[in-house]
Amino acid sequence: MKVSNKCTIFIFFGILLLSVLSGCGNTSIDNSSAFDPTKEIHVLTREDGSGTRGAFVELFGIEQTNDLGKTIDHMTDTAAVTNSTSVMMTTIAGDIYSIGYSSLGAMNETIKSIPIDGVEATIENIKNGTYRIARTFNIVTKENVSDTTQDFIDFVMSADGQTIIEDHGYISVSGTEPYSGAMTSGKIVISGSSSVTPIMEKLKEAYLEKNPSITIELHQSDSSTGISNTVDGTCDIGIISRELKDSEMDKGLRATAIAMDGITIIVNNNCPINGLTSEQIKNIFMGNIVYWSEAAQ
Amino acid sequence: MNHIKEKTMQSLFFLTACISIAAVILICIFLFVNGIPAIREIGIFNFLFGTKWKPANHLYGIFPMIVGSLYVTAGALIFGVPIGILTAVFMARFCPKRLYNILKFSIHLMAGIPSVVYGFFGLVVLVPFVREIFGGRGMSVLTASILLGLMILPTIISISEASIRAVPESYYEGGLALGASHEKSVFYTVLPAAKRGIFAGVVLGLGRAIGETMAVMMVAGNQAVIPGNILSGVRTLTTNIVLEMGYSTDLHREALIGTAVVLFVFILIINLSLSLFRRKVN
Repeated sequence: MKVSNKCTIFIFFGILLLSVLSGCGNTSIDNSSAFDPTKEIHVLTREDGSGTRGAFVELFGIEQTNDLGKTIDHMTDTAAVTNSTSVMMTTIAGDIYSIGYSSLGAMNETIKSIPIDGVEATIENIKNGTYRIARTFNIVTKENVSDTTQDFIDFVMSADGQTIIEDHGYISVSGTEPYSGAMTSGKIVISGSSSVTPIMEKLKEAYLEKNPSITIELHQSDSSTGISNTVDGTCDIGIISRELKDSEMDKGLRATAIAMDGITIIVNNNCPINGLTSEQIKNIFMGNIVYWSEAAQ
Repeated sequence: MNHIKEKTMQSLFFLTACISIAAVILICIFLFVNGIPAIREIGIFNFLFGTKWKPANHLYGIFPMIVGSLYVTAGALIFGVPIGILTAVFMARFCPKRLYNILKFSIHLMAGIPSVVYGFFGLVVLVPFVREIFGGRGMSVLTASILLGLMILPTIISISEASIRAVPESYYEGGLALGASHEKSVFYTVLPAAKRGIFAGVVLGLGRAIGETMAVMMVAGNQAVIPGNILSGVRTLTTNIVLEMGYSTDLHREALIGTAVVLFVFILIINLSLSLFRRKVN
């Protein structure tokens, strides 16, 4: 093949590639007039072990008890499963027809939260009780903990720890006394929910400033994994974003609430929906409402 | 004295070889001892051919995941093998020297990129791209196939290129002497002579595709249902294990180990049939 022919083909493919890439790059700047209500709702959910999912299906009635007394999760089969809060938010930020749920404290500007039954998802509304979709963040330990672990828990429940929690968009649950401990050495392993991990990172940094010789390892997975890790001793503290089940309490675990966090329904920034009722949300996530035109108010 | 040293070194090397074999045997034993009782309890027919995977309701059918793994691997081969082999032919026989160094460097770089980075790339670039051009949700069999095809390219390209270069020059010159052009000589004499090496590269790529987890998990949608068309979401055997292993207990956990057994058996079947095929070809 002659050199000039090769060059022509290279240039041709280069232009083709650039035009294709620029085409897909522009999709995120679509304006809302491109939203087509006859399209299907793309439902996103979290994996089975997620505390956020557990709290969500319980609070909206998607998890129902049947006649035999068993609780069944009726989340629709066609919901795409994302394995953490951040993957959920990245997916929704890129898809104008998607809907999902996430921790209120983890929200950022790439997605927007919509009011439920006319009530906005804000800290004030959770505190005054008008926004009822909220759950506690709990730390889970065995009955006996090491001194280092107990000191860290005291820090989290103290005024210093709870101020950090308030500063980052969550609701504190206690915190009247200031933190006054001082540990010389020790190691703590913390594992569990991806919703609690961001605030636990901040608490860990603040604690290490006061006690620099302590080592803290923080592993992110999900609530149920945190619980099984605490039971088998892989970690000292499990962090979960839901309540302990009876079967889990029987294994000798105790839970302490460290913060309250809202669960918010999230959609793409360019989605024109301005609010939904809890009945509509329940039907969307159970698969009974399929198209955006059925959900628009 | 030398005799003793010889013997010691021989046994040392034998020992290191035994370690690899022991590792494989241990994995086999762990899988089968933990997985087979679970499969027996669920019922092998219900396990392999059941279409509902709902552990909370004690339904453990992995047929949708088997189908998902097969679709996604086949798709990866359709994307990866032609591009890979043709790139290898280009690099070995048609490439100018300056371009060759750049290409070689990029292929090595591609091989070194972690799966999670590929997954993130797929989530942020490929998923919106597929959604715009083809419709549907974006997280689909097609997206996973394209991404896996990209990931197995470095393997296929490097091994195929090495085996094409290993073909004696006399094959190529013989083709030219009989009057064939440069392209015809490469494609009709050199490439068939490199068949075995290319085949080995493709088998390695297939092994990587069927075992890939992190990247597929971020772009495939992970619905535990049989995909209706190429634009539906899919869950593979590997992502099924990763999504639920952390918190599963009792029969659920053993069912996931059973899934790993099925995966292992698949890879055994693929390797056995391919070595039989190779023996027939020779």
